[in-house]
Amino acid sequence: MHILETHQLKKTYRSRGKTLAAVRDVSLSIAAAEVLAFLGPNGAGKTTTIKMIAGLILPDSGSVRIAGCDPHRDSRALKLIGAVLEGNRNLYWRLTPSENLEYFGVLRGLTPRVARQRARDLLERFDLGDKRRALVQTLSRGMQQKLAIAVALIHDPQLLLLDEPTLGLDVEATESVKRLVREIAAEGRAILLTTHQLDIAEELSDRVAIINQGTVVVEEPTSELIRQFSEATYRIELEHPLDAERTNKLRSLGAVVEPKQIYLRDPDLLYTVVDGLRPLPILRVERDQASLRDIFLTLVRQGRLPELSNSGGEVRSGQLH
Amino acid sequence: MLFLFWAEFKRSWIQLLRYSSEVIGGIIGTTIIFYGLFLSARYIAGPGFQFGDRLDAIIVGYVLWALMLFILGDIAGGLQQEARTGTLEQLFLSPYSAPQVFLMRAFASLTLNLAINLSILLLIMVLTGSRLAFPITLIPPLLAVLMGAYGISFAMGSLALILKQVQQLLSVFQFGLLFLFTAPVETWTGGMRIIGWLLPMAPGAGLLRDVMARGMDLNAQALALALLNGALYLVVGLALFRWSEQETKRQGKLSGY
Repeated sequence: MHILETHQLKKTYRSRGKTLAAVRDVSLSIAAAEVLAFLGPNGAGKTTTIKMIAGLILPDSGSVRIAGCDPHRDSRALKLIGAVLEGNRNLYWRLTPSENLEYFGVLRGLTPRVARQRARDLLERFDLGDKRRALVQTLSRGMQQKLAIAVALIHDPQLLLLDEPTLGLDVEATESVKRLVREIAAEGRAILLTTHQLDIAEELSDRVAIINQGTVVVEEPTSELIRQFSEATYRIELEHPLDAERTNKLRSLGAVVEPKQIYLRDPDLLYTVVDGLRPLPILRVERDQASLRDIFLTLVRQGRLPELSNSGGEVRSGQLH
Repeated sequence: MLFLFWAEFKRSWIQLLRYSSEVIGGIIGTTIIFYGLFLSARYIAGPGFQFGDRLDAIIVGYVLWALMLFILGDIAGGLQQEARTGTLEQLFLSPYSAPQVFLMRAFASLTLNLAINLSILLLIMVLTGSRLAFPITLIPPLLAVLMGAYGISFAMGSLALILKQVQQLLSVFQFGLLFLFTAPVETWTGGMRIIGWLLPMAPGAGLLRDVMARGMDLNAQALALALLNGALYLVVGLALFRWSEQETKRQGKLSGY
């Protein structure tokens, strides 16, 4: 079942006689327990899309449905959304974590008693129990971010929007936020995650949507996208340079041979080649694997071309093999 | 809504108690400004001049002006502050509508604002020797003034949402408000009297001067006009706020600062 469905979202900004098409026909969906990494360069339309989903920006056309409810018309939809928005504190710095959680709990429609109980549970779960009475402004950046996520979960929403949740965090805090995102998704919530840290997106996401110049240029399951962009090439690294006889033999099989490295385009040849190398010491055998970073850069660079920027399908077919 | 009111009430008082020095500074500053004006007026008038109930009338107007500034600061100033610090969008993610949230917020901090302004009033009375009356009949005209004050604050809040940077405008606007609260519209006659009825909060402020400074009874017709004036400005202010919320969302500028 899809928790979030957007259909053909469009948003154009007009300022001083100029128009800017910020988002063009963006359609996305996220199922329960699924993490969608929503990636794109600065100004690509990520934040506008997220805010249209959250009901904070009115789309020019298109629709948003959260568990069937429209956040722009039905306030019940807002009870299903939790959001941590980028560049915002999202919290009252003059209040403690407990006070923030209880206040936002009631603001999201909970009774004070339920908000208090949920606040206690979330503070324990997010390892903030011993900071419950400290002012938010005295907490570390990592703790503030964890608290912002806890606040977004106070009313038990089905959809969580996380805009750059690990921005500016140190390694330990980043790991902690990653663990929480995995746990929150495992509880059955749908998560829309934007980040410029593509290794994190690769690690956490089930699916990836890449937006460029307001248009989604690719939307695929993360593993499928990586598979499609990965070469079927094996690389064998040797400890010592290969002798001339073996080099010639391997070349006759179609391998590309450098003094200490062998590249195979035909995976069926792998064991033939390994047998031929016996008993030379092999340091590493690995299959070439694309990273989300490589895929992102490829698509975005291609997407900047005018003839491709209006057609996600062409970009996709141009890249996949 | 009651839960929301309670949450806002708790939040206001926690922040007040935690940062009480800011509030105490506000009370002392507001009192000192009036005392300075009082000493200047006494110097100009000479030592033998008796202010009589005119001083009391001016004190009522001044304290109402200070109350208005606190309410304006709560709504329009609070909106600007929250847009700057990044909590504003979280408020708009609530299933309660934005006018509901900000109205509950304003009501919740009313007790706070009334307590602060009563402190200012008592300090001024001690310093100037004024003898104001506090009859129960001051409540209906105070209600009329408060409705108008909230209406004007929501209208300024709408500007803050749309334009964001309205600090300069708010500063100039404060002087206009001082005129509204201190001009003796209740003594105006002819065409000016009708203008006095239409000015925001002015009819209620005039009635408060009557009952607190001049010891007069409430005039039912004048009270009805004052309440109507207050209700009208409140409805217009809330409608403007609702419109500016939609317009800001359309322009995608809710958090832009």
